[in-house]
Amino acid sequence: MKESTAPRLTRRRFLKTTALLGGSAFLLSRLGWPSELFARTRLAEYELTKPENILYTVCQQCNTQCGLKVKLYDGLAAKLEGNPYSPWNLQPNISYRASPLDVATLDGRLCPKGQAGIQTVYDPYRVVKVLKRAGKRGENKWVTISFDQAVDEIVNGGDLFGEGHVPGLKEIWALRDPKLAKEMADDVKAIWAKKTPEEKKAAVEAFKTKYAEHLDKLIDPDHPDLGPKNNQLVFMWGRLKGGRSELIKRFTVESFGSVNAHGHTTVCQGSLYFASKAMSEQYQKGSWTGGKKFYWQADQNNSEFIIFVGASPFEGNYGPTNRAPGLTRGLVSGRLKFAVVDPRFSKTASKAWKWVPIKPGTEAALALAMTRWIIENKRYNAKYLSNANKAAAVADKEPTWTNACWLVKIVDGRPEKFLRAKELGLTDEDRFVVLQDGKPVAFDPYDTANPVKGDLFVDTTIQGIRVKSGLQILWESASSKTLEEWSAICDVPVRDIIELAREFTSHGKKAAVDIHRGVSQHTNGFYNVFAWFALNLLIGNYDWKGGMSQASTFDHTGGKEGQPFNFAKLNPGKTTAFGISIIRHEIKYEQTTLFERYPAKRPWYPLSSDIYQEIIPSAGDGYPYPIKALFIYMGSPVYALPAGHTNIEILADPKKIPLIVASDITIGETSMYADYIFPDLSYLERWEFAGSHPSITQKVQPIRQPVIAPLTETVKVFGQEMPLSLEAMLLGIAEKLGLPGFGQGGFGEGQDFTHPDQFYLRMVANVAAGDRPGNEVPDADDAELELFLRARRHLPKTVFDPERFSQIVGEKWWRKVVYVLNRGGRFDNWEQGYDGDYIKNRYGTLINLYQEKTALTINSMTGKPLAGYPIYLPLADSVGRPIEDEKQGFDLHLITHREIVATKSRTISNYWLLAVMPENAIVMHPRDAQRLGLSEGDRAKIISASNSEGVWDLANGTKVPMIGTVHLTEGIRPGVISFALGYGHWAYGATDLVIDGETIKGDERRRATGLGGGAGVHANAAMRVDPYLKNTCLVDVYGGSAVFYDTRVKVVKV
Amino acid sequence: MEAENALVRMHQDLQRALKKPAERRSWAMAVDVRKCIGCYGCTVACIAENVLPPGVMYRTVLDIELGKYPNVVRILKPMNCQQCDNAPCVPAANAVAPGSLEKRPDGVVAVNYERATKEAFEAARAACPYKRAVYFDDGRFYTDGTPARQAYEMRPSFEYGKEWTRTAGKPPVNALRKCHFCVHRVENGELPACVTTCVGEATYFGDLSDPQSLIAQLLRENRDKVMRVYESKGTQPRVYYLTDTPVLCKSQHP
Ligand code: SF4
Ligand code: SF4
Repeated sequence: MKESTAPRLTRRRFLKTTALLGGSAFLLSRLGWPSELFARTRLAEYELTKPENILYTVCQQCNTQCGLKVKLYDGLAAKLEGNPYSPWNLQPNISYRASPLDVATLDGRLCPKGQAGIQTVYDPYRVVKVLKRAGKRGENKWVTISFDQAVDEIVNGGDLFGEGHVPGLKEIWALRDPKLAKEMADDVKAIWAKKTPEEKKAAVEAFKTKYAEHLDKLIDPDHPDLGPKNNQLVFMWGRLKGGRSELIKRFTVESFGSVNAHGHTTVCQGSLYFASKAMSEQYQKGSWTGGKKFYWQADQNNSEFIIFVGASPFEGNYGPTNRAPGLTRGLVSGRLKFAVVDPRFSKTASKAWKWVPIKPGTEAALALAMTRWIIENKRYNAKYLSNANKAAAVADKEPTWTNACWLVKIVDGRPEKFLRAKELGLTDEDRFVVLQDGKPVAFDPYDTANPVKGDLFVDTTIQGIRVKSGLQILWESASSKTLEEWSAICDVPVRDIIELAREFTSHGKKAAVDIHRGVSQHTNGFYNVFAWFALNLLIGNYDWKGGMSQASTFDHTGGKEGQPFNFAKLNPGKTTAFGISIIRHEIKYEQTTLFERYPAKRPWYPLSSDIYQEIIPSAGDGYPYPIKALFIYMGSPVYALPAGHTNIEILADPKKIPLIVASDITIGETSMYADYIFPDLSYLERWEFAGSHPSITQKVQPIRQPVIAPLTETVKVFGQEMPLSLEAMLLGIAEKLGLPGFGQGGFGEGQDFTHPDQFYLRMVANVAAGDRPGNEVPDADDAELELFLRARRHLPKTVFDPERFSQIVGEKWWRKVVYVLNRGGRFDNWEQGYDGDYIKNRYGTLINLYQEKTALTINSMTGKPLAGYPIYLPLADSVGRPIEDEKQGFDLHLITHREIVATKSRTISNYWLLAVMPENAIVMHPRDAQRLGLSEGDRAKIISASNSEGVWDLANGTKVPMIGTVHLTEGIRPGVISFALGYGHWAYGATDLVIDGETIKGDERRRATGLGGGAGVHANAAMRVDPYLKNTCLVDVYGGSAVFYDTRVKVVKV
Repeated sequence: MEAENALVRMHQDLQRALKKPAERRSWAMAVDVRKCIGCYGCTVACIAENVLPPGVMYRTVLDIELGKYPNVVRILKPMNCQQCDNAPCVPAANAVAPGSLEKRPDGVVAVNYERATKEAFEAARAACPYKRAVYFDDGRFYTDGTPARQAYEMRPSFEYGKEWTRTAGKPPVNALRKCHFCVHRVENGELPACVTTCVGEATYFGDLSDPQSLIAQLLRENRDKVMRVYESKGTQPRVYYLTDTPVLCKSQHP
């Protein structure tokens, strides 16, 4: 450490001079380091192991969100390593107490995408100034404009593009009085609570009379439950983590008063989340509520047997860095074996004890077949399943319990509500009932004093009421077919079914079913997930070491005792957003004033949220209402969604969505249709609270923080300088609109919100405080504090100002904040993840084997009630009709997969990854190829019943044919073809575009093969458009998933 | 051994080895093929660490598929320069370009970029039985052809403990390039880039002359599983492979 800091400041000096470059510097490349900067010859020490050249943060090359150790050279992120403090990167992670001064030479692991991340950051096609479209939507002609002009136009509207009036946000922000909003919201709820159409009508009339003066603020006074015009602002996002998530919701929902802030969950693994939510609903004050949008994964570090279904932790699915070592160690030590159920022989399958190439879409059939065998052979955990309440579970040393033995009423042969003790006159209280040795017993599921156990298999009549137990209902579903019949459906041999079931029930609690997209992204995804997770219930492995685990994080929003900044109370201007969302979620169709008939115009999703594929098409249909402005943050629905081409038509038409604003780091497949693009900061330049994943058993909160100087232009908002970013965009608009919750006093009396740091540093302080008093991290000592400053010497004041930082959090928290940031977040030590035979951070409550809430929900498309138990459903369109494209000669089943070197829409700029795999392929079995006259390396096109031309129509005169290179492998189920996501681009630097009249050449290494490039094929546009909805992919109408795996295609040689 | 943190253990082994005189260290690598998940993390980490240009990949991963559906086998086997003790490339290259390659006492076959010309590369390539060990730096950049060449390709690499800047139009451009066990990292107390990043925990590195080291222990305890590629050619490679199927694994080397 003999070097002084002075010569290291070159980058900062250089940044100052770039400000002179002026208007033409719209791409990052125009701001690049001069090549002579590094071209000096000297013999130096290895710079990159010095603590002052290292900063810790979080990767975002995929959503695994591994810890990062960034090695800096002259302010340049030179080399990335894994953060050894993080249990993602080192298993066990090093002690949180270790000083960063002592561990500088110790690295954690990182996957290839993580290693290549600097190529996302320093992408020559990154935008650094605000762009406004200069041609038609999607034409890819742009002009750079000032930040202030962009904000002004977006807020005030006007004839912005010579195409007529565009409403500004000030016009959309119609209802501004929080008191009035709250009152209206309550009255809308009252309308929904009315039982008959007549009563609803009367309530609507009363509403109109009461609010006669304010009807202009509503979207439609005849349907007040559509809410205020404010709802016509829609904010949608792709990858979003904590911090920014609260910021977007603060802006859109709390301050602007729109209900339309929606994520992308359903394009990833929606039905996995929402089936888990349904399984985790709790009975409180007479209703099922509080279900968590979450899911479980196997504790791979301790399991003895895992069945991975539609999951490949070596290639994706929140791996590989955090999951692979536990798996490979287990394989070699003999502790673990695993099976992989996947039509494709993935890298995970290549290490499996058994590969089960199932027929796609029949996952529930295999699960129910196993369930049948397990119950028939009495290999379930009867003791666990017979616990009806908490007291019984506790007595059994079980952290969780189920409703397997609770009695369910059977009405006309259909399982419906749980039997209530009242109905038998057992008690006046709201209690459920089990049968104990044939006698009904009332109980409270959360009773900690009186253990109640129940009979497992009940099918009887009590006082004239027909009842069955939850487990009986599951058994009947599983035994509705013989093993041979199930085998015929899923095409898994009976002996494999039995072997899987036997092995699964041979390891006590140390066996697990671990599922992902391959299970959930089907039209029957919700029930596939339910069926597989029910298997875990049969052995009762939840919260057990080696069994099923949930994620656990240090809260950053300040809701816990002892945390200094409670964000729930830091928005004095908060309003009440109300009304039906554009994606019609968490509300029943039948309750609303829009209810008329089945099928509904588009599906309603009472059990799900963040239904990505519904946002733009719903806006296109104007159902339930048209929208006026769409903001898109770090998402590319066009590229990422199945049948994403259906979104293009809508986005390209300003009449359908008058204003589109994108926050993006490049001009991508979706942001190319925006009216304005606000350059964002990349993941190495900004803040976020990355949260955790279920397979991480430790309590954690990885924190993303600026580790390099921002590469975007500096702008001024609320009188403060900050880099162009999502934050600057939102703060700038808030300032111009005068939106409450921002600016002076934005957090309350004397607490300004004029700079992003004021938001994020408070959150860091909350993490430092921990969950309870006494859980704070230590103070950073002087040496650590000095390191903190020295390691950030290359950061400009716009993002790093120690004075500002320490003022925001106050003296009491400052050194604790430093302690946390010096380690890239907060991480419990490895052993803190476990507690004897248990996982320490427990789910710890009831898990629903029978879902009453689901059973009381009506499918808005068929009018039929949903099943509250696991079933196998054949593939169907949104109105329940079978899809039979194979009869039209579409003879191949299309699926997708992830290669470890690519993430869906954002790694095509990573040339090191392209060096490993320059192009994806149409992957098929030689038998199919032979039949079709195709050979290895042939060029072929993918077509389907809903895309017979086999193209992406970009609505700008260009069509991108879905042409790829054929690759033959024995490692795929014959009849199934696959392609890897992430390749074959036509934006994101792949094709030419014009900025300020200058043509920027696209890079053919990124370009789709169908456009003459070398990057292979992106075949999402071949995925089936729902025949009823017509502008959306196939969907799981129960769990909300966008369907990736249920399309039949043809592959034709070109 | 499962609960143990291999990276921390090897890091400690390394600090111990560095206390010894340089000539008494004996660097070696072991790859447990059973644990390699074919992620290419090692490949890319190496490119990033050593600022490698297009066409140069010190460390690659073979992905070999065998068998017929549904009985398929996939062998994932990383390859880099094997740092042979009896390295045929050294005399071959030195014959055409004296002083271009050197077998160091610690086992590393080192390149002298100032002397390792294209001729040296061609001679070494012809002499080396291992495909994918030696490469030639032809001066290209990944971001050429985009709006601008990027700084991450212009920063120096620190190979052999010196700063090498490719934009200078000097070596290592137009030189032979290959794996050097990241000796610049190793001598600064940090494990090689491919080792620390190895997601499958398949790659081991250390001082073979230290019986306490993890790598020595691993090779000792798994004698029946250890193989080296082309052992029969007498090259005495310093990269060891662990596999349950040594015969199959060997037969599948291109
Ligand atoms: S898995 Fe790879 S890309 Fe994803 S977060 Fe981890 S290192 Fe980054
Ligand atoms: S990093 Fe490790 S697991 Fe990944 S390919 Fe290389 S050797 Fe295999």
